[in-house]
Amino acid sequence: MTATTPGRGRISLALHGTDAVFEELSSAYPLKLLSPRIHRPGLAVAYIISYGGGLVSGDSVALAVAVGSGAILVLLSQGSTKVFKFRPGQRAASTHSSGPLLTTTQRMDFEVSSGATLLLLPDPVTCFRSAAYNQIQTFRLARDASLVLLDWVTSGRKSRGEDWAFSRYYSVNEVLVEGRRIARDVMLLENDDAGPTGLPPRTLANKLEPYSCYATLILYGPKLQGVIRALVQEYGRISVFKTGQPAGLLWSLSGFGDGGVVVRVAGSESEGVRRWVGGLRGLEEIVGTDVWRAFG
Amino acid sequence: MDEAYLLLLLSDSNLPTGAFVASSGLESFLAHGFGAPPPQSATPTLKSDTIAAFVRDSLNTYAPSALPFVSDAHEAVGRLRTGAAAPPCTLALLKALDGLYECTTLNHVARRASASQGVALLSLYAKGFARPPGHAASALPAAAPEAAAMAALVDAFKLTVRRGERDAHAHLPVCWGILCAALGLSLERTQHLHLYLHARSLLSAAVRLNSIGPYAAQQILLHVCGALVDAAVRKCARLRTGVLAEDGDGWDEVRDGPANTWPLGEILAARHDLQHSRIFNS
Repeated sequence: MTATTPGRGRISLALHGTDAVFEELSSAYPLKLLSPRIHRPGLAVAYIISYGGGLVSGDSVALAVAVGSGAILVLLSQGSTKVFKFRPGQRAASTHSSGPLLTTTQRMDFEVSSGATLLLLPDPVTCFRSAAYNQIQTFRLARDASLVLLDWVTSGRKSRGEDWAFSRYYSVNEVLVEGRRIARDVMLLENDDAGPTGLPPRTLANKLEPYSCYATLILYGPKLQGVIRALVQEYGRISVFKTGQPAGLLWSLSGFGDGGVVVRVAGSESEGVRRWVGGLRGLEEIVGTDVWRAFG
Repeated sequence: MDEAYLLLLLSDSNLPTGAFVASSGLESFLAHGFGAPPPQSATPTLKSDTIAAFVRDSLNTYAPSALPFVSDAHEAVGRLRTGAAAPPCTLALLKALDGLYECTTLNHVARRASASQGVALLSLYAKGFARPPGHAASALPAAAPEAAAMAALVDAFKLTVRRGERDAHAHLPVCWGILCAALGLSLERTQHLHLYLHARSLLSAAVRLNSIGPYAAQQILLHVCGALVDAAVRKCARLRTGVLAEDGDGWDEVRDGPANTWPLGEILAARHDLQHSRIFNS
């Protein structure tokens, strides 16, 4: 599959001496990749952007990423990934609402070589009213590769009164080390829960309140051991006393595989979740302050 | 054996499965202030509604994440039962299912509770169901050849777990599928009963947490849970893990695979151990 197929993209980063060099950085509409110049040895940054600031019903994006031995790749996005049911202003006859809803699909495959580090730190996905979105991400790591994976979703456009009003959000993150699966996180949020029960309906908003942003952060590999240790200690210090009101931000931490952790964060505001992730000093040390600021 | 009699046996709350120490996140949910009505209006009705809503959300995430494993384990053991598969092949499939459930359950508290209840089910089969008591003759026609094959399979699977083999954890959904298939319970009954027991165990936890009374729990069980369990089974009975899928089956992970549907429940369940004081193990 070449990068000229709509929505396809390829990134290949290699370490030449102390320079991280993009051997390939190609993409086709509606996907766009940009790489700002970064002055930090061994590290490169690429922005994953969609034209028009969003994806629409039926769009399909497929990105293949390879991080060569010893290199550090930071993938960011510019603003949240917006998923529309229709392209704004183009309510074309071919996609009118009586037809079946075509799902927007984003598939990303990552290969992280020995000693390399991938930090996937996009802004959250925001699915608008009635949108349907599938995101399938696979991470193939060498034994001593490292991974930071942030995957987050918001409740929609608050300004338009959207509160978990999309039709379906499906996200898979699968992590394999030397071909062996060590984690497979599958999250499905949808508004038609279990079909007719004769009971009053229970919406997605009902069961996710009072939070409007949910994040999953997966940390794995030798470069993350310091960050993981600090988080485990911080988590261990939490003591929950019975309360009458849920906190504005909640997080949990579980280990998986040998030495990886999955952190989940729920926040009443996505900015609060961003601040929480942004507060992970150990990550700032890996990428440098400038790049870390670009994340938020 | 009469299926109705098996159902009575398996749904008996005296069944030694260790389920009574699990609240599947309910204790943590309540401790974190969810569904807590304002103090002045903490009526029994509101509390009942809170518990019913928790049961609903919990069922609707447990069903799509666990039922595919129940179904595939049942199918794998069913093939051995009918002679369509050889024991090593069945054992390999069960380990693959168990390993996949471990990878997809990214919540250490849920994993711990699942493995301890799964091991209990294997012991229940091996010690309680596999053979008649003492040297007494069995009144069951099931002293048939397949009974020996089932007992041998469960013993072999237990051994892989006890040895701490990779991918061998004895997770609850896998073991429930094994147990029911070994007893000859149909797949439909196996799925339905598993979700019913999940709901009932949550209500029993709610009573012991003193959140609702025993009558309210029965009310919810009769008036609410029946419909919820039926709906969850209708929606998730066809889901599979993909472990048994072959080319040409048309199995598609996005459409037909397991998934979690309640990230809030996941966070709260994982935070169980952070509670200052707690009475349940999950």
